[in-house]
Amino acid sequence: MKQFAALLRKDNRPVRYLVVDDSVFARKNLIKMIEQFGGEVAGEAGDGLTAIAEFNRVKPDIVLMDITMPQMEGIEAVERIVRQHSDARIVMVSSVGYQENILAALQKGAKHFVQKPVKPEVLYEILRYVLSDDPNAAGAPVALAGEHRS
Amino acid sequence: MSRQPEDRGSELRALFFESAAELLQSLNEAGLELEAHPADEDVIRRVRRAVHTLKGDSAACGFHKLSELAHELEDVLTPQIAHARGAELAELVLAAADSFGAMLTAYQRRVDPPSVAALHALIQRLLEAPPTAGVSAGEPSPGHLPARFEWTEYEQLMISEAVHRGESVYNIALRIDPNSLMRAAAFQLIRNVLHGSGTVIALRPEDNAAAASVEIVEAALASSQPEQKLAQRCKIPSIVSDVRIERAATAETPEHELLGDLLEAQAAQVGAAASEQGENPGQPATAGATSAATTVAESTLRVDATRIDAVMNLVGELIIGKSMLNRTLTEFDQKHARDPLRAKLADAMAFQARILDELHKCVLKIRMVPVEQLFRRFPRVVRDVAKQCGKDVALEVSGQNTDLDKSILDALAEPLMHLVRNSVDHGIEPADERLTVGKPARGTIYLNAYHQGTQVVIEVRDDGRGIDLVALRARAVEKGILKPEEAQRLSESETLNLIFESGLSTAAEVTEVSGRGIGMDVVRTVLDRLKGTVHVSQQKGKGSSFQLRAPLTLASIQTLLFRVGGRLFAVPLSSVVEITRISDQEIHRIDQREVLRLREQILTLVRLNHLSRLHSIDTQPAKKKTFVIVIGAAEKRFGLLVDSLVGEEELVIKALPAEIISSDLVSGASILGDGTVVLILNVPAVLSRLARSTPLGAIA
Repeated sequence: MKQFAALLRKDNRPVRYLVVDDSVFARKNLIKMIEQFGGEVAGEAGDGLTAIAEFNRVKPDIVLMDITMPQMEGIEAVERIVRQHSDARIVMVSSVGYQENILAALQKGAKHFVQKPVKPEVLYEILRYVLSDDPNAAGAPVALAGEHRS
Repeated sequence: MSRQPEDRGSELRALFFESAAELLQSLNEAGLELEAHPADEDVIRRVRRAVHTLKGDSAACGFHKLSELAHELEDVLTPQIAHARGAELAELVLAAADSFGAMLTAYQRRVDPPSVAALHALIQRLLEAPPTAGVSAGEPSPGHLPARFEWTEYEQLMISEAVHRGESVYNIALRIDPNSLMRAAAFQLIRNVLHGSGTVIALRPEDNAAAASVEIVEAALASSQPEQKLAQRCKIPSIVSDVRIERAATAETPEHELLGDLLEAQAAQVGAAASEQGENPGQPATAGATSAATTVAESTLRVDATRIDAVMNLVGELIIGKSMLNRTLTEFDQKHARDPLRAKLADAMAFQARILDELHKCVLKIRMVPVEQLFRRFPRVVRDVAKQCGKDVALEVSGQNTDLDKSILDALAEPLMHLVRNSVDHGIEPADERLTVGKPARGTIYLNAYHQGTQVVIEVRDDGRGIDLVALRARAVEKGILKPEEAQRLSESETLNLIFESGLSTAAEVTEVSGRGIGMDVVRTVLDRLKGTVHVSQQKGKGSSFQLRAPLTLASIQTLLFRVGGRLFAVPLSSVVEITRISDQEIHRIDQREVLRLREQILTLVRLNHLSRLHSIDTQPAKKKTFVIVIGAAEKRFGLLVDSLVGEEELVIKALPAEIISSDLVSGASILGDGTVVLILNVPAVLSRLARSTPLGAIA
């Protein structure tokens, strides 16, 4: 298994994630990667509505959001979360067939997207990128512990 | 050419443009080859010859700028430089082909050719830099990104105003990762990032739709962020593979000093627009060139697709109007059987119908584009993927001139891309394995397209190892899609169709080697949406073949109208195999299904009212004889029991919002001349409903 340098917050604490997917398997898969990246799973949700509630509760640094879900789709969840928290960092997770939905999600304020099945090294780079997006911060906001992918 | 040749000069010009288009095509092909074999002296010689011919011809026609550029280019095309800087040289050849194309278009429009300063610089760099010095790998070198930064006059004005205000304006070129399958989404993300980093003054392409076919995004951005930070932001992982940022030249800098330069820039844009326009029938000047990128077009118009759609809709309405008239006429016939007016009306009607038919065809034709537009991406894709997998794969393409609706073509791009990648990755065996089974080391993938009835068929075939049915069944069982005993019962074609099950393919089927990892279910999803089908077949050890069938156009279809329980339905005529009448005794029951034995074949019967649970519909009292419409999609067949047949009709499909139709069994609706609403049956959905066993309980 590849080694990843821990992705940390500016204050050197683990990045906190909210993982939203209606498939338990998909969530576990993502969580495994998050742990590989030195992150902390702050919450999980299986649908858009729960995702919004969880977001408000745990205030994660990053949301990994599936596109198609029961009750409330990912796009609507993105829209609602971003409306309340304009600085929310949401990364859409979806298979290629849903390009239009991803487009919509990006227009609603999602920061990035990653294709299913998610490859750890791709997700890692995307997270690193999304985490470094801090218009107010000077310098690199992401602390990297050790050598990347040693 | 559309104009009468005024003299010998213009005849010469016509000849020149014709041959230049061919030279450009060969330049493009050679560029690709050069990329594959950077030091291939043969290819270099070919490029040199093409450039040399272009130089001579253009000088003879008085196109000096073109001739000079060709001359400069010739100097770089040496085996020495090719050996040392092969990759860059290939890039240069491709960029030069683009520039030549833009210049030719400009000449043809009798405007000044666009500035080629960027290309000059590229050539100079290749000539000056010591051939041994390789480009540092990490640093994105500007030369690799052929960007023009040709802004309109207005945009240039905005740029210089921003500079005057003391803002920093950057020209940014981003290459969309060639591996990215979701280009429109990638482009949207790039837009988001650019807008988040400053004020976007200019952007090419301008909208998401155009982004699907674009590799390089160009932008002018006013930003307060330092250049390095911008570069960091623009290097979006998995989206952008290459970044080039430079300070935008303002009106003060010599490069854009003169109005003439501005005009040139504009001409180049117009030229680029025209050459993107693709095929241009009835143009002898372009007849030789099939590749749209290099087509030198004389009278191409670029029209917003929505305008064409509007015309299309109006024609659709007219067709409804025609059928209204027809019905009225039939009524009139019945009422006034002896009226002499009848004949006159019928004549007028026939005339109008013929014109309307022509009009409809013409409008449809506007939207039609040759499949070449899609196919020409694949040589590159196959090469890239083959390289990744360390395989040797050739691509053979045929039927490029097959026309189909642009929107369908666009929709097919993604599944086709996936199938081709899949074939390279999984279908074709590694060279040593191929040799041991007696095949040539180099694998081949065939892409073919042709029309069949009202459908277009696109085939992806490979001569690889075929599909391992046993492994496929095993995986389906492993993934819980099938029970072991079910898996044993599956026929070969049923097993092959497992490929398209979403859970099956996304996990392990696709990814290991190429790492693309999108599911084959995408293929079926898209085809279902298009009301098309996908059929897979294979021969163990000899290869596999995928057939995508889609309607030629989404706009109108020939249908067969029938009634079930008092409601009018239609089914695309293209999916009707035959119609037969049976008596009730002929219906048998097997496994809780109603079946019919039709010429030694067992046909599953479907009663629409059961399937769709339309309880409101009263089933007609059992009659002695019933009509059965035999419907086929791909290899599957079923029989539809209907109460009565109404006839054939060309229907203009109206898209229905999801709220109105709750069932996926209906793909759309249409309105007949008399105002009756017809529901159009979604054949693939019915089939998939049949394939699942539970809802079929309703049929029994």
